[in-house]
Amino acid sequence: MENSQAGYQNIIIGALVVAALAILPFILARFGQTGEFWIWLTTEMIIMALFATSLNLILGFGGMVSFGHAAFFGVGAYTVALLMKKAGVSLPLALIAAPCVAGIAAAIIGWFCVRLIGLYFAILTLAFGQLLYMVAFQWYTFTGGDDGIHGIPKPEFLDPTNYYLLCLIIFLVSFLVMRMIVNSSFGLSIRLTRENLDRAKFIGINVRRYQLINFIIAGAFAGIAGGLFTELNRFAQTEFLHWSRSGDAIFACLVGGMYSFVGPAIGSSILIFLHIILQQIHQSLVEIWAIILGIILLGVVLFAPEGAVGLYLKLTRKSEK
Amino acid sequence: MGIEFYLFILINGLSQGMVLFIVASGLSLVFGVLRVINFAHGSLYMVGAFLAFSLSTLMPPGSLFSFLMLMLLVPPAIALVGLGLEISLFRRIYGKEHLLQLLLTYAVLLVLDDVCRLVWGGDIRNVARPEVLAGSVEFFDLFLPTYNVFILAVGPIIAIGLWFLLYRTRYGNLIRASVSHPEMVGALGVNVSRVMTATFMLGCWLAGLGGVLMAALANIDLGIGMEKIIECFAVVVIGGLGSIGGALLGSLILGVGVAFIQLPLSRAAIVFPYFAMALILIIRPWGLFGKPER
Repeated sequence: MENSQAGYQNIIIGALVVAALAILPFILARFGQTGEFWIWLTTEMIIMALFATSLNLILGFGGMVSFGHAAFFGVGAYTVALLMKKAGVSLPLALIAAPCVAGIAAAIIGWFCVRLIGLYFAILTLAFGQLLYMVAFQWYTFTGGDDGIHGIPKPEFLDPTNYYLLCLIIFLVSFLVMRMIVNSSFGLSIRLTRENLDRAKFIGINVRRYQLINFIIAGAFAGIAGGLFTELNRFAQTEFLHWSRSGDAIFACLVGGMYSFVGPAIGSSILIFLHIILQQIHQSLVEIWAIILGIILLGVVLFAPEGAVGLYLKLTRKSEK
Repeated sequence: MGIEFYLFILINGLSQGMVLFIVASGLSLVFGVLRVINFAHGSLYMVGAFLAFSLSTLMPPGSLFSFLMLMLLVPPAIALVGLGLEISLFRRIYGKEHLLQLLLTYAVLLVLDDVCRLVWGGDIRNVARPEVLAGSVEFFDLFLPTYNVFILAVGPIIAIGLWFLLYRTRYGNLIRASVSHPEMVGALGVNVSRVMTATFMLGCWLAGLGGVLMAALANIDLGIGMEKIIECFAVVVIGGLGSIGGALLGSLILGVGVAFIQLPLSRAAIVFPYFAMALILIIRPWGLFGKPER
């Protein structure tokens, strides 16, 4: 009974958040230049929330630390960039291709990676991610090397507000699909492999295959995020593939709370928002961003390993008592 | 380009490999005892290199004495930094999830790297080699840079020293016992947590020493910490986590491999560590010298 009540509460909160997000650009559009900047920024937040949520399928639910998730973000980004700039493909088609190509890349890399567990999995994903980064960096004729690919065409109907809405819709659909996956019997099996690998094997789960499928799904959604991000900035560059971007997504999961489904999206938004607030206060604060981020991380790891969502739940439960 | 040229490349690769070994053996040692992969190890090495640079500007340049002073002073300084880190942070996460450990050390990396940037800035720097080591030595009609030969001597000394420490002293026995049966060692009245702290400091000392040697071997900038930690990962993966002999073999393979691949494919050489690492993880995940876990 309590559970379903909490369920209704969550649905209501969710609906309110979605409604607020949908209205937001129309309000921001009234503020001219600054408003446009904030629309751009919230679009980025939505895209990065999608990226962090996709990583959490592996990290929080699969219990496997991947330092190479940015590879699939980057593959999605370059897919959209190359298809639109060099092949003249339209945006919708390119956005459909992005998760497919990223999923294929995840299938190839994941096939090797899921053979290993724990630290070795983390290091191998890092190695593969950096291999892709280096390839993008060196293959000048195809990827533009460290210059990246600039001037990706922008369809006419896409003003910032429309693009924001497009990203929001794609985000919501992806979010719900991922939620369904997590709550399906497949998702429960994945959680079992996190909790007890041996028991999962004993009851006949093909652990490697499940982990591989999970890895591919996560990679494909990261590809969508990468594709959307490329069109937002209208360029793709090697930085998209770099492992520090994977690190950013891991931080987002940790700060938000990786044992909850909404945690990573919240964590990612908190971090981007904090970064921009610091920038508004004083430019010098951004220069020591890594130090600030490091200290936040230390605090979370040591005192609140369940992140913002965990903290919130703890506080509300206490107040009920 | 005859045999001299290739020998020169070989010496160069080997000396890079030796510095890498000194740093990577610290990482491997710390992992062996603490079961924590320290992402910040490369940053400690970088702090060591920049500290050596700063101290060298205070001393008369080119004298052997100042360089030996650097080798004596900087590694203990880094070990002290390590002491602070271990007591205040690392100690709290032993035995916790891998993820939390990785992220904690990654957070330390972020902070240390940024502190380095604030203190020393983005310029490329180096430490002048002492005059005695700046020239070249004749070796069967070949002229080899003395400093590289010097490093080729230091590397094995460190390797033998570590071996002696681990296998021929009481402290080494305690370390090895703490690796396999920490609770048993504790039950016998040994302060295991002090063994861990000492080992962590030793690992940092090695990172600092690597930093000093590197500062005079090549140019240093803010990227070297990140670069070295990835190379160290590759080394310990190739050699086997926690194995000193494996770290030596892995470092030399990597150093020489990169040096020779650089000849025909200058841009592909930076891919080599990742490629070697991925290959070993796929074929023999526990490394050449390691043992499979579980």
